[in-house]
Amino acid sequence: MDMSNSLLIGQYVPSNSFIHRLDPRTKIMIIFFFVVFVFFANSAPSYAWLTVFAIGTALATKIKLTFILKGLTPVWFLIIFTFLLHLIVTKEGEVLVEFVSFSIYSDAIQQGIAISFRFFLLILVTSLLTLTTTPIEITDAIESLLQPLKKIKFPVHELALMMSISLRFIPTLMQETEKISKAQASRGVDFRTGPLKDRIQAVVPLLVPLFVSAFKRAEELAMAMEARGYQGGEGRTKLRELKIAKIDVLSFIVFALVIIILFFLRA
Amino acid sequence: MQSSRLLKLIIIALLGTISMVLLFVNFPIPFLPPYLKIDFSEVPALIAGLIFTPVAGILVEAIKNLLYLLYTGAGDPIGIVANFVAGTLFVYPVALLYHKFKGKKTIVTGLVTGTVVMAIGMSVLNYLIILPAYSWFMGWETMSSGVKLATVVGGVLPFNFIKGVILTALFVPLFVKLKPWIDQKRMSFH
Repeated sequence: MDMSNSLLIGQYVPSNSFIHRLDPRTKIMIIFFFVVFVFFANSAPSYAWLTVFAIGTALATKIKLTFILKGLTPVWFLIIFTFLLHLIVTKEGEVLVEFVSFSIYSDAIQQGIAISFRFFLLILVTSLLTLTTTPIEITDAIESLLQPLKKIKFPVHELALMMSISLRFIPTLMQETEKISKAQASRGVDFRTGPLKDRIQAVVPLLVPLFVSAFKRAEELAMAMEARGYQGGEGRTKLRELKIAKIDVLSFIVFALVIIILFFLRA
Repeated sequence: MQSSRLLKLIIIALLGTISMVLLFVNFPIPFLPPYLKIDFSEVPALIAGLIFTPVAGILVEAIKNLLYLLYTGAGDPIGIVANFVAGTLFVYPVALLYHKFKGKKTIVTGLVTGTVVMAIGMSVLNYLIILPAYSWFMGWETMSSGVKLATVVGGVLPFNFIKGVILTALFVPLFVKLKPWIDQKRMSFH
């Protein structure tokens, strides 16, 4: 059972760039609108412009660009696959190259490049969020952005509480899973080889202690919270306050300009 | 009152975490494409559905997928939504049946029903929504209905069926072991 250590912190890379310091709500909203507006790009200059913006933002995070691009490795395969699929399927425009029974058309190259760029931009920009923002910050931001839903009795606070507790316990429960699976392996349980049926059966002694100990933890945590006077979301103050600063307003203005220019570059 | 509500929230959160951890303990099935992977992340959702309500099971599925999204980035948003829907289609019938007709036999009936609902539901959804959404997202040509049908009949249907059977094969012995414990926990919340 190999669970990579990188999962313990997610994808977050600490740094002191201004992108890291932006309010997580700002980042989420800008990325949301970026994802929407990527679909408006329809010409080479408009794609080039969005790429300049995305790469510029990536550089501003002060995380090495090669590191970011390496993180997209599993996606590269999809991008290349999409491009190749377009080469084969699209049969419009001039014939550029002709093999015995197969020819490549000019539109195929164009469309293939455009779609690959769209995909690349989407993945790059959304991964910048998880690279520069801790999961707990994202949860705080989601809680804050969902506040309006409280009016229709949507349990925003409870959901955020569950998410923060879950996030807090990911490393703990991951270590525990590993510990239990090693303990069971030392008793001769084999997860990897043998017929499928045996391997499935081998998971049972892994799961039972995991559930039982999770309930124990939950009882302790509930008791500890009650003892400290936890009474739900009403009137609760926060350790990490979210504040919109000048830098956030500035980012919104720059982003709006980027989008306005995008509309001038559309074909 | 408040106390048991808080405890419930915390338990659901922790089961969601276990579910997300189990997502990384997966193994591909021979003869099926590698992106169709079996994992045991549905098991904590089943436990939540049985101890509390069917909706608790859905909440565990939601937390699992949200955590996964936060940790791995939005490379494949459609896959995450599809995982949530598949999990819900599987867990909801099991929990619903168990709460209606309790007992050890019900759990087998429930798991079989869940498998059928998930396999057929995911086939229909793939044909109508998920595959078109993928081809739109990736900018592929719209798939012809023949290609979609082949993908569903050759991939989605058998995959979800096998997944359901494997989960059933795992959950029945697990349930037999945990039944006294589950009943005791249920009593403390009712």
